[in-house]
Amino acid sequence: MKIPGHTAVGMPGKRRTREGPLAWLAAASVALSLIMLGALLVLLSVKGLSNFWPATVHQLTLKGGETVIGVPLETRELPSRQGLERRYLTANRDDGGGIWRWLANDQITEDTTPEDLVVLERRHWGTFFGRLVALQSGDQRLTGPDAWTVLESRLKEINALRDERRRLTHDEILPLIRSMEDQDGHRSEDRRLADLQRRASELQQRMQGDLVVLENGQGRRQEQALAEILEAWRPNAMAWHEKLGHWVRELWQFLSQGPRDANTAGGVWPAIFGTILMVLLMSILVTPFGVLAAVYLNEVAHQGRLTRLVRIGVRNLAGVPSIVYGVFGLGVFVYGIGGSIDRWFFESTLPSPTFGTGGLLWASLTLALLTLPVVIVATEEGLSRIPLHQREGALALGATRFETLTRVVLPMATPAMLTGLILAVARAAGEVAPLMLVGVAKLAPQVPLDGEFPFLHLERKFMHLGYHIYDAAFHSSDVQAAMPLVYATALLLVTVILVLNLTAIFMRHYLRKRHGAPVRR
Amino acid sequence: MLLAVVAIAVFLLVEVLPLFWPDGASFPLEALWSSPDVSGEPEYRWLPHRLDDAAVPQASLAPLLWGTLEAAAWALVVAIPLALGAAAHSSLYMSPGLRARLKPTLELMEAMPSVVLGFIAGLALGPWVERHLAQSLSIVVVLPAAVVLLALGYRWLPDRLKAALTLRWAALWLIPCLLLLVWLAMSVAPMWEGWWFDGDLRLWVEESWGLDVQARNALIVGLAMGFAVIPGIYALAEDALSDVPRELAEGAQAMGATRWQTLTRVMLPVALPGVFSAIMIGAGRAVGETMIVLMASGNSALMTASPLDGLRSLASSIAIELPEAAPGGSHYRLLLLAALALFAFTFLVNTLAEVVRARLKRRFTRRKGDA
Amino acid sequence: MSRLSRCIGALKRTLLSPSRGPRTLSIAESIAAASEAPGALSIAGSSVASRVAPRLVSGLVLSSMLVSAKVAAHDVAGSLDAIGSDTMAELMLRWGEQFEEQRPGVRLQLQVAGSASAPPALIAGTTLLGPMSRPMQEDESAAFIERHGYAPTPVVVGKDALVVVVNRHNPLSRLSRAELDAIFSDTLACGASESIERWQQLGLERPGGTIHLYGRNAVSGTHGLFRRRALCDGEFKVSVMVSAGSAAVVAAVGDDPAGIGYAGLNHLNADVKAVAIGNAEDGILPRRQSLRSGGYPLSRDLLIYVNRPPEGELPDVERAFLDMVLSPSGQRVVKELGFVALPPSVLAAQRHALGLAELPRDGP
Repeated sequence: MKIPGHTAVGMPGKRRTREGPLAWLAAASVALSLIMLGALLVLLSVKGLSNFWPATVHQLTLKGGETVIGVPLETRELPSRQGLERRYLTANRDDGGGIWRWLANDQITEDTTPEDLVVLERRHWGTFFGRLVALQSGDQRLTGPDAWTVLESRLKEINALRDERRRLTHDEILPLIRSMEDQDGHRSEDRRLADLQRRASELQQRMQGDLVVLENGQGRRQEQALAEILEAWRPNAMAWHEKLGHWVRELWQFLSQGPRDANTAGGVWPAIFGTILMVLLMSILVTPFGVLAAVYLNEVAHQGRLTRLVRIGVRNLAGVPSIVYGVFGLGVFVYGIGGSIDRWFFESTLPSPTFGTGGLLWASLTLALLTLPVVIVATEEGLSRIPLHQREGALALGATRFETLTRVVLPMATPAMLTGLILAVARAAGEVAPLMLVGVAKLAPQVPLDGEFPFLHLERKFMHLGYHIYDAAFHSSDVQAAMPLVYATALLLVTVILVLNLTAIFMRHYLRKRHGAPVRR
Repeated sequence: MLLAVVAIAVFLLVEVLPLFWPDGASFPLEALWSSPDVSGEPEYRWLPHRLDDAAVPQASLAPLLWGTLEAAAWALVVAIPLALGAAAHSSLYMSPGLRARLKPTLELMEAMPSVVLGFIAGLALGPWVERHLAQSLSIVVVLPAAVVLLALGYRWLPDRLKAALTLRWAALWLIPCLLLLVWLAMSVAPMWEGWWFDGDLRLWVEESWGLDVQARNALIVGLAMGFAVIPGIYALAEDALSDVPRELAEGAQAMGATRWQTLTRVMLPVALPGVFSAIMIGAGRAVGETMIVLMASGNSALMTASPLDGLRSLASSIAIELPEAAPGGSHYRLLLLAALALFAFTFLVNTLAEVVRARLKRRFTRRKGDA
Repeated sequence: MSRLSRCIGALKRTLLSPSRGPRTLSIAESIAAASEAPGALSIAGSSVASRVAPRLVSGLVLSSMLVSAKVAAHDVAGSLDAIGSDTMAELMLRWGEQFEEQRPGVRLQLQVAGSASAPPALIAGTTLLGPMSRPMQEDESAAFIERHGYAPTPVVVGKDALVVVVNRHNPLSRLSRAELDAIFSDTLACGASESIERWQQLGLERPGGTIHLYGRNAVSGTHGLFRRRALCDGEFKVSVMVSAGSAAVVAAVGDDPAGIGYAGLNHLNADVKAVAIGNAEDGILPRRQSLRSGGYPLSRDLLIYVNRPPEGELPDVERAFLDMVLSPSGQRVVKELGFVALPPSVLAAQRHALGLAELPRDGP
């Protein structure tokens, strides 16, 4: 069997091979599309992952004799085109306000990387670059290399104490208080509570007390409470495997912690959680509707003008811009339905709205509407791939049409439905525009799922990975400071979506292999 | 499903209609298009938040419509050649094994979240292009020219090399070639910038053509949005080309036509409605795209033809302003009018595309049935 | 009366859904969520909190950073509502965090929907604290007086300013107010004779070419303030590139040698340079001194409006919160977030007006 267009392949000598430049341009356009995709992924991975690597800290001496400690970042040409300038992250926000310096290359007379430079991650005022002078613990004052080793072990202790105290409050005290709220409380519980409190305050006390004396680039000294320090490392003295360990730890913190410093530091856990929760809710809403609609269209309805019209409607729905769904969600769900709910049930809190403002429920509903066509189309495709003889066989054996549908057709179409659902989830996870209107929040530390009755708070706002990218890139207090985290978040989002899509693609591939080409369209 | 479409339409209509009732709007309806400025000249300004307290209400939708269409047009300028080229190549020349893998890869491209594209375009690509204008221009000029040269020079290549580098696999082995070309184009850029443009292309462009280069401009938006619509157009166009009955193509080739001639003279005319509908659907997506325009365009409501200026679209205006607009107010209704315009436009475009596609499909099936 | 209705409202809420409004940011939980912070208690629903609070107060001490918190916290258990400005959101959050450390068991519930949302909430009595980044307008305070019979009390808690920024390589160091207006607006309401489109018109060789304008979106308070003060109530040119956030404006100007823009003081970084505003001899840079003295023309006060009857006192929680805000440690937060802290004299005057105890001379 000859395939058109593939006849000349592999036989350049015999056949006419001059296809003209346009054919080559067409080939180049495929290559170019692939390059663009690849470049995007490489850019995201490099920028997103390199941020967690402990960068070498440089000590620079400038022409005027000033000493600067910083991490070199990007290099740019000066506008006069004479020479280069480089951006340095100098941190130490408590020491003059800024965390960046632009230095022209010819300003620098000496550039060294001393091993004793320390980097401290602090709870307030961001990162610190400089030197450790002494560690003051009670009356004891340690200096030199001893100070560093003791600092490291003390930090470990303090972190362990902090974890322990958090565990105590979360796992023991909070449940106890909740149970005391329910019943009116007994003496024994009171005593237990007091006991727990004493333990916690002991932990708290053990964290306090130590001071470190630090020195910045200019040699100015300052004191810092050790309990304020989260982490300390000496990047210039680390071996590569230590750096790798640090990288893994930082990456894990990025995934598991909440944001700090107005979304420019810390992690994205609440955003991951919010995205997952929203997508789950949406799946619960969209699956039954989508599958029922597809089954009706493909199995039950008479295939005629009307079903054709409906199919066009479905495709149309897929083509409607997502922002229009957002507008619809805001107008109908939030202001319309939400406003009514507020008037009926939450009158006391008005004018501050409860359901009459964006929230998890409305966002899920809007996205369910948005992804409905995806599920319908995929399910329909799966249904139409099921060979006619399967149904006929079932009917011939005496099954009713309903039984054929539920016992034969639907089980066979399940992978197709799953494919549709996965595609819908991927779409929903990446969609931001409608969410901006119906319930996403910049910072919502109060996650919609918690231990308070009724546990799932549908009216609360939530954080979303995609919106987090937009917000950190435009609304944070310093875009440059937020940039590494934005890249990392973007990489995370893209990875999740690509994995979902790849799963869907493989499932579809598998389906096609099993059932062959669609029977009818 | 029809119900959902109808529900959206009805909701938007109901909310927008009061604007057009005699006493519904607090401003003259002409303000929706243009309003006179101090000297009486018509002026196109979008200042909906001051509708109620400004002396002259100005809420011209004209710059927004213009921006929307301009962005979509540039996106199509980027996407059409690439997507159609890719469709033609993969349906005619590409090895089937590669083709089976290319389709899902391009699907991944479509799945790329628009907020990521917008972020890259607006905060990484835009400023880079503004700083490296000469390099960017160099890439745009050099790449196609070099590929054409490559095609012309191909027949002088030794046979062994030719056997290794066939058009069948061109999509893959061209990638390193193109990367090399990109590097080459970038490294020669400073030279010719120095020779012809006094070392500063940006200033030269401004002084001789009066064009001002903004970091976030229509071209950047077009590029990012083009990236987003390429896969959609590609998939539909490729479908349309593959649906052309193969007897037609075989016949043409038997008569001695090259594959490219077969494509342009035989297959394309037959598949044209399908290709057309692919482009329409791509246009629909480009018009409604929000995050890319919001993040990469600068959002200045200008009405200039310069592709190097910023722009503002209907969708991005809705996204920034609607959460702050009081429900029921004029501003709110205006934004809903914008949403209605978007909805109506995409609805028309998609319906048209669907009808064309369905008709084409029926025609081919019928012909197959006859054969 | 209003307190009673709040109580009933809170009870109803608890029955239907114990959580508060959706925009609520609860400090206690935000601390618990951010894992580096100490764990904290959260109590479901304010009415429940007030019921069990006295019994729990000693228990709540543990959740504080400061173990030294006294049982004096008894009467200040419960919740503290604040509704208002988004500029001050971060500030309020940090204050709330600090307050929680000092007075365990008090949870700040913050809704940030913009300054405009504060007056209605104060009028309706939903909140007693309304953070605003601009003074109340005439009609807003009139509505408040009509409802309550007395004026709302503004408390200045910090200073902010709008800064005009240019690229770090731009030699421009000063603009007169007429020039500033001529650059950004085409209405020329501040008295310039012609619009300024190109850098050469300012007598600069570099950067050549057209001035690129960057600004904020129309609904932001920053946009409004700049329009009123710098453009003399005129209108912006249409060619202003609009960003959804001040940080994006700064980033864009930092990337564009020909750019100029405006942003809040706390967004200033090394990519850009602040431009002094004023005539040749008295161009004023937005420095701490000029802001405190009020010399800088584009400065604004960060305010918290409180509902305080003239004869009465503030409820204890609110009072304690303001006490903390107007203390050296509260003002440190202002500084840390990049705003300007109040000078001691203003601080003392504010404290006096609110009837708070005088600060010790040598504060911590």
